[in-house]
Amino acid sequence: MRTRSGWALAVLGVIVAVAGAAIMVVLGPDSRVTTGPHAVETDAIAVVTAPKVVRWADVQVDVLAEVPVRKPIFIGVANAVDVQDFVGRTQRLEVTSFDRPWTIRTRDVEGLPNLPGAPTALDWWLDSSAGLGGASISTRLPDQTVSVAILSVGSSNLSGLQVTVAYGVTGGFAKGIALLLLGAALVWLGVLLQRRMRRADGVDDLGEEIVYVYVDEHGVEHEISAEEAADLEVVEEVEVHDADEPPPPAAAAEPAPEPEPAPEVDDAEEVVVYVYVDDDGVEHEISADELAEFEVVDDDEEEGR
Amino acid sequence: MRRLAVAIACSLALAGCAVPHQRDDLTLVKSAAREAEVGDVLARYREVRRSAVELLDPKPLSTVETGAVLAIDSGSFEVSQRLAQQQKSDTADLELTDVETPRFGRYPLWFVAVVRDTALGVNRVQVFERSSSGEPWLLTASPETLAETTVPEIRHADGAAVRVGARDGVGMSMSPQEAATAYAAVLADPDAPEATSVADDSFIRQMRATTDANRALQDVDFAQTWEAQDVQYALRTSDGGALAFVTLQRTDTYTVDDGLTVTWPEGSPQQAFLSEGISGSGTLTYLHQVLLYVPGGSGEPRALGQYGGVVSGDSGS
Repeated sequence: MRTRSGWALAVLGVIVAVAGAAIMVVLGPDSRVTTGPHAVETDAIAVVTAPKVVRWADVQVDVLAEVPVRKPIFIGVANAVDVQDFVGRTQRLEVTSFDRPWTIRTRDVEGLPNLPGAPTALDWWLDSSAGLGGASISTRLPDQTVSVAILSVGSSNLSGLQVTVAYGVTGGFAKGIALLLLGAALVWLGVLLQRRMRRADGVDDLGEEIVYVYVDEHGVEHEISAEEAADLEVVEEVEVHDADEPPPPAAAAEPAPEPEPAPEVDDAEEVVVYVYVDDDGVEHEISADELAEFEVVDDDEEEGR
Repeated sequence: MRRLAVAIACSLALAGCAVPHQRDDLTLVKSAAREAEVGDVLARYREVRRSAVELLDPKPLSTVETGAVLAIDSGSFEVSQRLAQQQKSDTADLELTDVETPRFGRYPLWFVAVVRDTALGVNRVQVFERSSSGEPWLLTASPETLAETTVPEIRHADGAAVRVGARDGVGMSMSPQEAATAYAAVLADPDAPEATSVADDSFIRQMRATTDANRALQDVDFAQTWEAQDVQYALRTSDGGALAFVTLQRTDTYTVDDGLTVTWPEGSPQQAFLSEGISGSGTLTYLHQVLLYVPGGSGEPRALGQYGGVVSGDSGS
């Protein structure tokens, strides 16, 4: 069970590490994705997002709104209750949906050709900026329903408007690195856990195969089942390791068993070697046909010769 | 192993904070004001009021007050001007003891601030309203309770004070609007049918004593009417009742016999508005802001505090 936990931890680590790497790749070192500038066709004095268009929270958003000929422009983000009340009676272009990176749907809303007041004088903007020819905000989206408003200041309108949006996570690249490290740590922890469990639980728990062998009177080995082995006397236990697995420590090794006397073999196909010993005591192998020329001194058979 | 645990903890801390997420609840809702905003609103109000008192001029008040409370304060300043009196100033010993901020899906927004004036021994239960996103916060109600009066605890949901609709009488003997109407009826006529369902509190007794004194004037016919305005602000109390801010308009009409003139004592608000007295008939109009508590269950509505004064006078003919 704990071995499985080790595996699970390692797999989780790989997933987390891959997620971290993905964040790093997607966001890049500046931790954000930029799209634009995109032209927004309108001659209204206000462009606002509908209340349910901005659905994310804790996302770092940078919006740059630019208009030609240094027209005064204002951009702000605020609770949708405030924005909807402020522009509610004003002619505007309302963004009804937004998909990343930049797919928007809009609708024209009829209304008065002016705002109820100067947007710069209001205190409920969560973030705002005004400028000539362009204005930008950089804000982290709060956990409330908000709208983004791009407003024309004074008597001009927003014709020629271009919008650039960048979104990401504050410190996203660093967080990606953190996730990568976390994943690597989890993998390491998983492997460590597995090794420890392997040592603690012993060989049988590791699922090694036990083979029961019966050696007959001719020295021939026959594989038998565990049930059959239970009826027989255990003469010897031999531990066999895989070639790629290191052998157990020397202290744990048992001494090699003594060679047993070789059983008699009356196999018809057994090869008989005839040897002639010269005067110097050097042995020379001879054939059975040449044997007749020599005196047989010893008939003892010698195995392996 | 310890180093590994530290590394994991650090990684989690770095990666876990402020994780971007898609919001499930996209309801159009806003808390009326943040705590810092409430502090700014109150500080601005006090500063403007202090200036108005120093100048003995109610005009600056129109930038921080509206409605009945502005009418009452303007009337009070007018009385001070005519009688060459100093206007009662806010003491420096003010303490913000409670703020109740409901949530709203649209304007107007409002919140309640309870300010204790330890020198005068009163609590001001003030309502500030922002009628639209382009308007400033203005004081719209400011009933005063005695320092020892306990204001019922307000019920909260998701960190915001819970509002009660003016005509929502669920869990109470009557809705805030019905309570206001019944209260005005009892003030106008002690024998009104509503008298059995409204508590006979100190404000009612005080108003009856004033009415009786006016009716005792010789050669003068005195008539008084009370009318409850629409209830705009009511909060749910923790016992299931409501704390409603009720504005009552009182009209005192004096009719004197031909050839007679009724005058008032020096220094009285009536004397300030009707300095020549009343010959024939004359009218004084008052506004009273009453903090009306409608208990949960079958309890009778009763006033916890009030703030009022004469707002106009018409000497008639």
